[in-house]
Amino acid sequence: MASHTEPTTRGQSGRRRRKWRPLVRQLHRDTGYLAVGLTLVYAISGLAVNHIADWDPNFQHLEKQHRLTGIPVGDEAAVAFVAEELGIDEAPNDVFAYSKDRIVANYEQRTLTINPSSGMVLEKGQSPRLLLRLMNWLHLNRGKKAWTYFADGYAIMLVFLALSGMFMLSGRRGLIGRGGILVAIGIALPLLYVHYSGGP
Amino acid sequence: MIRPEHSRRTDAVQKAMARREFIRKAARGTTVVALGGAVYYFADDRLTREARAQTRPDGRPRLPPGQRVIEKLRPMGGRQGDPAPGRHRLKVHGAVSTPEVYGFRDLLKMKIVEQSVDVHCVTAWSVLGATFVGVRVRDLAAKAGVKSTARHVIFEAAHGYTANVQIDEALADNVMVAWELDGEPLARPHGAPVRAVVPDLYFWKSPKWLTGIRFVERDEPGYWETRGYHNHADPWTEERYG
Repeated sequence: MASHTEPTTRGQSGRRRRKWRPLVRQLHRDTGYLAVGLTLVYAISGLAVNHIADWDPNFQHLEKQHRLTGIPVGDEAAVAFVAEELGIDEAPNDVFAYSKDRIVANYEQRTLTINPSSGMVLEKGQSPRLLLRLMNWLHLNRGKKAWTYFADGYAIMLVFLALSGMFMLSGRRGLIGRGGILVAIGIALPLLYVHYSGGP
Repeated sequence: MIRPEHSRRTDAVQKAMARREFIRKAARGTTVVALGGAVYYFADDRLTREARAQTRPDGRPRLPPGQRVIEKLRPMGGRQGDPAPGRHRLKVHGAVSTPEVYGFRDLLKMKIVEQSVDVHCVTAWSVLGATFVGVRVRDLAAKAGVKSTARHVIFEAAHGYTANVQIDEALADNVMVAWELDGEPLARPHGAPVRAVVPDLYFWKSPKWLTGIRFVERDEPGYWETRGYHNHADPWTEERYG
């Protein structure tokens, strides 16, 4: 039967001294487990929002041009006719005539711009990227309120993970060897970037 | 009979050849992708080079430093407001003698202007010659009777978004409340039904889903300004971050 090893050692004075590295590793491990969910939220959303200039991380968009004949006169009638032709079975929540040649009908997730004279209908729609939108909402803390405290707690967890990570191993793989080199690189990267980019 | 030693050598040779073939294919693929990217980049960059050679009537370069020209406005996110023009209300208030709430149809009855302007996003893209239709903020201010003590304008938008602009810049000729972009009603991601357009500042100062214009005596940094972005946001001096 394997014996359980206590993370303690006996010092020169004979008093039992608790080893701190195993404790750091345990805390690092458990904090890491706790941080998995939030890390995925912040990392995936971070990647998505970081490239917001290239795509919309919250919605998928559609845009279609239709040409219809026989659009009747009258805003409501025109919208009802177009909706039927396009197979839209929901009622618009707003119909607004900018002019006789431009009627705009708003639906939950799409907008129709109808020109009854030319028969042209511009359909613009969007559908939310469900999971990503939720992640972005959390990441950007749009809801405010209690999430601020979760975000603060997560930030503190990250600080602990960073600091405890440095002291998990001793020797050449620890802070005085390979670990130290990697930590130095990690600190140097932002400093160099600030230096060469000119900073804020 | 094949000796085990020989078989091991043959396996090693085959593995090495497969590796070489893989590297060759990867290199070819990378070259094709890189060339494609380069063609796309340089074709796209022509607009930027042309813009860099141009000067605005006020003597400033047409393209602010650090910007790259793209062809169409990109939606940059934000929590969307109600896009329905029929329900839209625009409140002009604060340090004014006659606060007013305008419906969308009221705006359509005002002096409508069409302006071709350049817009510059803090994320380093610019769109040149975007055509907006709307009313000038200056005209709305004149109707409201802005008090002489007002120094700043707070653009208010859906879900509490705000952006602060100095009053002289908010009342410039090219600053407007717009509902049409390039011949079409504003799309939802671009702020339907109306957005502010303050072309000479980074575009976060031009809130989408605009609901109010408030004139104030003291400055009130807005949504992004309180999150590390510059309070003024002049693209020509690259006032991106505070």
